[in-house]
Amino acid sequence: MRSTALNQDETGKKGAVPVRRTLALWGELFALSWRRIPAATAATLSVLLLGVPATTGIALSLRTAVDGITTGDHDAAVLGTVCAACAYAATRTLNHIGRSLMIMSTEKIGLTDIHEGIHRDIATLEGLEHLERTDYLDRVTTVRTSAWAIVASMWSAIAIFTDVLQLVVLLLLLGTVSPWLLLLLPAAALPLWANARGQRLVNAAETDTAEYHRVQRHLFKLGTRAATGKEIRVAGAGEEIVRRQSAAFGVVVDGRYRARMRAAWLRAAGWTVFTLGFGGGLALVGHRTAQGLGTPGDLVLTITVAAALRQSVQQAVTRAAGAIDAMRLIGPYLWLRSYAADQRARTTGTAPSPDALREGITFTNVSYVYPGTERRALDGISVTLPAGAVIAVVGEFGSGKTTLVKLLSKFYRPDEGRITVDGTDLTELDTDAWRARTSAAYQDFGRFHTVFAQTVGLGDLPHIDDRERIAEAVLAADAESLVARLPDGLDTQLGRELGGVDLSEGQWQKTALARASMRREPLLFVLDEPTASLDAPSEQAIFQRYMDRARTLATRTGAVTVIVSHRFSTVSGADLILVLDKGRLTEHGTHEELLALGGRYADLYGIQATAYAAS
Amino acid sequence: MNRLNSAQPSQRSPHSPLTRRIALLRPLRTVPRPLLAGISLLLLAQALLPAATAVAMGQLVGRAERLTGDGVLGGLLWPLAAFTVLLLAAHLLESFIEPLEWLLKARIVGAHRAALLRRAVSVPTIGALEQPRTQQLVQAASADPENWTERTPADGAAAQLRFISAACGFVASSAVLAAFAWWAVPVILLPVVALRIRFVGRFTELIRQWLTRADRAQQGGVWAEAMTSPSTGKDVRTFGLAEWMLVEQRRHLLGMFEPLWRRTVHASWENIGHGMVVLGCLLAVFVPAAASGADGTQSAAVATAVLSAGWSLVSLVDYADGRDVAGASAAIEATEELEKLLPVPDDAAALPAGRVPRQGTKMPDGPLHVRFEGVSFRYPGTERTVLDGLDLEIRPGELLAVVGLNGAGKSTLIKLLSGLYEPTGGRLTANGTDLADLTPDAWRRRISVVFQDFVRYELSAADNVTLGQAAVPREETALEAAARDAGLTAVLERLPHGWDTPLARSRTDGVDLSGGQWQQVVLARALYAVHTGSRLLVLDEPTAHLDVRTEFDVFDRLARARGDDTSVVLISHRLSTVRQADRIVLLDGGRITESGTHDELIARQGAYAEMFAIQAERFRRGHEDRIEEGEYGIA
Repeated sequence: MRSTALNQDETGKKGAVPVRRTLALWGELFALSWRRIPAATAATLSVLLLGVPATTGIALSLRTAVDGITTGDHDAAVLGTVCAACAYAATRTLNHIGRSLMIMSTEKIGLTDIHEGIHRDIATLEGLEHLERTDYLDRVTTVRTSAWAIVASMWSAIAIFTDVLQLVVLLLLLGTVSPWLLLLLPAAALPLWANARGQRLVNAAETDTAEYHRVQRHLFKLGTRAATGKEIRVAGAGEEIVRRQSAAFGVVVDGRYRARMRAAWLRAAGWTVFTLGFGGGLALVGHRTAQGLGTPGDLVLTITVAAALRQSVQQAVTRAAGAIDAMRLIGPYLWLRSYAADQRARTTGTAPSPDALREGITFTNVSYVYPGTERRALDGISVTLPAGAVIAVVGEFGSGKTTLVKLLSKFYRPDEGRITVDGTDLTELDTDAWRARTSAAYQDFGRFHTVFAQTVGLGDLPHIDDRERIAEAVLAADAESLVARLPDGLDTQLGRELGGVDLSEGQWQKTALARASMRREPLLFVLDEPTASLDAPSEQAIFQRYMDRARTLATRTGAVTVIVSHRFSTVSGADLILVLDKGRLTEHGTHEELLALGGRYADLYGIQATAYAAS
Repeated sequence: MNRLNSAQPSQRSPHSPLTRRIALLRPLRTVPRPLLAGISLLLLAQALLPAATAVAMGQLVGRAERLTGDGVLGGLLWPLAAFTVLLLAAHLLESFIEPLEWLLKARIVGAHRAALLRRAVSVPTIGALEQPRTQQLVQAASADPENWTERTPADGAAAQLRFISAACGFVASSAVLAAFAWWAVPVILLPVVALRIRFVGRFTELIRQWLTRADRAQQGGVWAEAMTSPSTGKDVRTFGLAEWMLVEQRRHLLGMFEPLWRRTVHASWENIGHGMVVLGCLLAVFVPAAASGADGTQSAAVATAVLSAGWSLVSLVDYADGRDVAGASAAIEATEELEKLLPVPDDAAALPAGRVPRQGTKMPDGPLHVRFEGVSFRYPGTERTVLDGLDLEIRPGELLAVVGLNGAGKSTLIKLLSGLYEPTGGRLTANGTDLADLTPDAWRRRISVVFQDFVRYELSAADNVTLGQAAVPREETALEAAARDAGLTAVLERLPHGWDTPLARSRTDGVDLSGGQWQQVVLARALYAVHTGSRLLVLDEPTAHLDVRTEFDVFDRLARARGDDTSVVLISHRLSTVRQADRIVLLDGGRITESGTHDELIARQGAYAEMFAIQAERFRRGHEDRIEEGEYGIA
């Protein structure tokens, strides 16, 4: 877990959460746990707390037993040993139960409430900024698998509390033998400090070498995977990969071992000083016993406490290390919660979606700059997408095609200008209502590893089990022959790791197209590079069908169909072609108009046209 | 037994517990002797401490009982001093065993992973690595645990060392107990050992149950991933999938965990029962010992020592190593099976085709003339003949394009050409020499392949280029020339540390490149190989994901940068690109069915002409210009 502490600098600094907020979060988590799973919470808590009297009981009852033995008090000796046996057995049992109860309590809250809360926040926010902006995405990536560790840190905190409590109780117990022994209480701070300091050294070394650890894992994977193994063999890079993997592993081991050894010296020094002091304390107790002021049982108690102390200190420090490690996750987690709350507060649209488009969608001087960047992804776009039209958006990489689509789907809001749908500002529309009237196949669509029918049916949740509709959508995407070749047809599981089949890129693309065809009455239909990986006849069929579909939708709801492509040749049949260049709308019109214009469109179209010039 | 093992691995070891434990010790061979000896001694000393402490405590109490009341410490000085030393020893041992044991494990893991990796890259052909079974085994054997049930061979070895030392401690503590009464030893020992066996069995069962339900977690993980991945974020929002996915995810997770939680509750009660058994054993020994001590039939020293040693016997029985033993055994078995699937080349008898390459055969420098002579190929374990008596010539310095529909065998042809598979029939020759008679290295130094799924090394930009020809020492001039020819210079100028910039954002000062920039890096990698001796360059769909302008640029550069003596084999679906080739061959049904220049093939009016006509027509009608996989031509 710790080895995957990635991007430590970045998230580390931002993850430095004030202790107060961390304590508040732990309190909140405990309250949640108490409310949701009272029995498990109470059991876990009692097991942790009972450890204190059990350990203390060993020392106390051994004293009674030994005193009974040495004074010939039969009853005291038997009572003491019975109590000692009980305390021993209790300690052992509590140890065994404690860990599994803690894991269970953590899972019950972590996997449901917290894990779900995190996913809900990530998945339901209106915008995509948190998934596309790299510094936000780093935090999202950190937090999405952290639910378990965050809840576990709360239990660690409670366990640390009981460890420290035990430490104090044990030392106070010594005070009952002789008040002088209370001096050992401050002395115990030394090994505690040394342990904690050593742990910090070890953690720092883990972080410092994390990069090399990742490199050695990366190289190991490259060398052992078949896909990468091909090139490595042909390039003769195998030996070099092995050499570098070993070297990187060596760097990790050296750095971490040195830190661990240094931590060991620190611990040893701390314990040595404490033990010498403790030896002095023992001598004192021995002296009192020799003087007849104390009993042999006092000696035994003192010795028993000494043995128990190390365990308490070490447990507290190990657990603290875990809790400190979780701080790294608590920062991004709190960030996500407040970010989600802010974003939700900003969501304003309430207007219902129109039933049908009459005029169309109008861009008025729309500009957009991605947060954290300088360049305008869209720069002063003004154009009307008339109701019922097929619009093609073309341009090279980075020209702003996809950004335009993202604004239409409300993933981002324009920085300047506005987008209106039949005169209503898009931001005024209720986002869910608007999206319910759109459909799309995006360039980076979802490859959902579930059964085939479901991956299509997701395009219209109310009809996810409607086989008839799914079959229609499959037909629209020209995917019938694909389904026919699947071992279980529509019920085929996708994804080899789940015992299903792997699809090729083109086949996945068809699932996305079919999904996009599930909704029957969209107002906006987006195809973002829909056919990049499809074979020619399939693409031809699909293109024809989607053109027809666009016309049908147009008569039914006045739907606007937007087709994005970086291939200028793909879209000449559209009603309106928008040519984007570096965020600006440089040309627009029909294919013929743009060719006649002799501009960029004509130029790029020409490159490929000559490639096919009659021979 | 062997067959059973290979079919149903790592569930239950076929070996007896003793052989299994010995097998677990084997990885210790890779550990430096002084380290191993040191850690063994320290562990042994640590295991003996409880017995020594019990004796010291007994002595202390015994002497305290007989105190005469004179003197500062009476007779207590020595036992107290001894006790303090023992306490100090316990602290110091605990402190230093930790880093040394860690180092021991790290050394074992390092050696294990290096050996596994070397094995994986040393097998000249790729067939074995492409088997899903091999990939499963690699994961199981990788000594890089991905969940709590997995353990490394090092964990197993360390657990064995601890087991052995604990056994010594056992004997010592038993001896102390036996000083009181011989029967005390079995009274405590037998139930405790029985409980341990039961516990380990239960635990193994838990691991098995967890693993059999892991697919539920995976199914839940599909939706968790979908909800949080940037690439699915748009789908999730457009189709309003979040709440539905949350419900699905919860269903799968609870399906996996609820039985485990019930089990935890059950196990907790059972543990309390175990505690009662332990209590009974302790009482059976403690009460008579204390009573006889109080009655004076036994010395106080012995009675006290019994209280201490009895408990140490119970706590010496370690429960945690059950998981180490089970997990490490699985890793070791996976490793053993892998060693059979991936025989290292010097293990000549185990070579797949049973042939021995003539070591040291060299390919002279200069242009290459490669021939496929009646080459047939079928993937192992399959029925379909992919290549069927294929004859093909790659002439020195020519640009040869291979076209064909998906499934026609283009990728297979590349794999045979680069020696990743061996033909099941016929032979390949280079300048008249059978490739089978060359060492793989000798041949591969002369050929360079740009695969569609090329490798993105998370290493420096320079490494990313020079690893295209790793067998020769880095050549600076070739590196610069390759960068220039590939158009990479402009990219390099924008990198913070130029050639030394790691090409991964996860590295310090690292940078993520765009798809197009990676394409340029890979082109530079191929050209570097050409500059350092490769005379045959194979490009598998090199520009499939590039836009029109970049694709033109790439080909233009390539055409200019390669010398006259370098042959190029180009695989592409885009016939507009292919037509520039010196010669075009059409692969269909496992054979070459047409061959000639673009004009010749068009004039022939065969399948190629038909494909080209379709694409050209499609282009005129404004459609996509590539012809790819699928039903066309089959129908």
